[in-house]
Amino acid sequence: MIELQGITKVYKTGSQILEALRGVSLKIGRGEFISIMGPSGSGKSTLMNIIGCLDTPTAGEYVLDGDRVAGLSFDQLAAVRNRKIGFVFQNFNLLPYATTWENIELPMLFDGKNAHKRKKRISELLNAVGLYDWRDHRPSELSGGQQQRIALARALANDPPILLADEPTGNLDSRSGEEIMAILTELWKAGRTIVMVTHNDRIASYSQRIIRLLDGMVQD
Amino acid sequence: MAFGQGMTIQFKVAFSGLGETLIMVYGGQTSLPFEGLPKGRPISLYPEDVDYLKERIPEILRIAPESYNYLQVSANGKEINRTVHGTTAEFALMRTQVPRLGGRFLNADDVAKGRKVAFIGWKVAGDLFGSGDPVGSQIIINRIPFTVIGVLQKKIQDSMYQGPDADQIYLPFYAYRQIDNRRRINQVHIQPREAAQSKLIEARVRTLLGRKNRFDPDDRYALSFWNTIEDAKEGMAIFKGIEIFLGIIGALTLLIGAVGVTNLMYALAKERTKEIGIKLAIGARRRVIVQQFFLETLFVFAKGTFWGFIVAFNIVHIIRLAPINYDSFGIEAYLLRPEFSLQIFAAYMAILGVLVFLSGIFPALRASRSNPIESLRYE
Repeated sequence: MIELQGITKVYKTGSQILEALRGVSLKIGRGEFISIMGPSGSGKSTLMNIIGCLDTPTAGEYVLDGDRVAGLSFDQLAAVRNRKIGFVFQNFNLLPYATTWENIELPMLFDGKNAHKRKKRISELLNAVGLYDWRDHRPSELSGGQQQRIALARALANDPPILLADEPTGNLDSRSGEEIMAILTELWKAGRTIVMVTHNDRIASYSQRIIRLLDGMVQD
Repeated sequence: MAFGQGMTIQFKVAFSGLGETLIMVYGGQTSLPFEGLPKGRPISLYPEDVDYLKERIPEILRIAPESYNYLQVSANGKEINRTVHGTTAEFALMRTQVPRLGGRFLNADDVAKGRKVAFIGWKVAGDLFGSGDPVGSQIIINRIPFTVIGVLQKKIQDSMYQGPDADQIYLPFYAYRQIDNRRRINQVHIQPREAAQSKLIEARVRTLLGRKNRFDPDDRYALSFWNTIEDAKEGMAIFKGIEIFLGIIGALTLLIGAVGVTNLMYALAKERTKEIGIKLAIGARRRVIVQQFFLETLFVFAKGTFWGFIVAFNIVHIIRLAPINYDSFGIEAYLLRPEFSLQIFAAYMAILGVLVFLSGIFPALRASRSNPIESLRYE
């Protein structure tokens, strides 16, 4: 599903050169639940961004679902993010002026799905996360846990095979965190590939396998 | 801009308070010897000159004689001295003599039959009758009673000869002759068919009256003319100048507005950076981001246009509600009647629209090219 081969990422800021990733190679199979762990500055966010096609590696090969990502254009990458990957962020990243309904609708609008399909899918998702009655509310009216559940629903809108979660419980109290983890586990059991960044061991224990990063390299 | 246009229009109005496209002819004194006659002969105008000129100059649209004298007028137990005029019905059209509701100016019948009727200025009406309606009342001039048939409606008038029309009394020409039996008349009013013909008419009046009265048609002093058409041209030039000046101010305002809009669009792009990042992350294509930006720009522009129209239109019309003192008007008569021009507004908006479009496209493109990660981190 996800194959990284010798991925390097170098940031240049003025005269400073920062090597965020130094030759990361890993394979994540279809239906796996993986945690990426590591201290701050170990490159786990950079790795996550590259896996999520939000950023491109300086060197190395990335094959996602059989396609080489390196040669894709800006809009092709956008299409990959839209259809194959669902994102869940630590700070939810919902559009503040849009209702929960509209937030979930957005990826489907970008994909050009018709109104009927969108309506059906949004209702499904809102029911699945138990927030159907909150469909006309704005994110600011929701609790953190509720916001993250909406973000999860949005991530699943186009039914992507891969779910990327960057510290999904980082901004939540433990109970809301447990709820989110329960949903993620369910999704994994339903066959979705899940890649999660965390530095919480308890959260990481939900996953099958843990990849530890240190100084931009995978530790075995 | 509205003020500039308004001033120009008010100037026209004020000027037409005297009369529109009007040539006034006065008698004079010859300054050149002619056909053996010495210089210094007085030249007078007579009632028959009116028909004489009208028959011979086809460019004349209207012509009217006018005689006047300062006379005692009494009515309602009051006595005042005012300039009393004798003229014909056509005078009304040339000299903007609009009657107040319920009255009328002298008509052709009044003049032909020498009816004892009078048309009076609004100040005369006020002086003699207070706030009451004088129409139908009698006024006595030189012991002859005249019935008031109309009162002049208030107007602004910046040019005059015997004082403002508000203070005048007009009688049918032949009725006037009964209280002032001088044969010569004070002046003749001529309105050309087209304003451009005014100089030509002047020349032909000189030639024709010169032939009749035996003076040199080139004699500048045998007759004198007051050509309001030429005066108006000068006045209009001045007001055009002011209009252009205000136009420049308007253009500068426009520039400031454009800078404001550009800034706003730029700020919007910054403000929306995170939002753009989110949208890019969940798969928005570049085109979608740019489109959104354009719609926003369009919305800001439409809103601005709408409110701009409402505000400008209302300011102009509220100012226009301000009363003008017709009895002694000053600069306010020009300033308090700004004109809202849809054309200027449309032109303004078209220019602003182009600027808004340009100022919208660059931030939009920049925003759409930004890296989703950096946009997402933006707080």
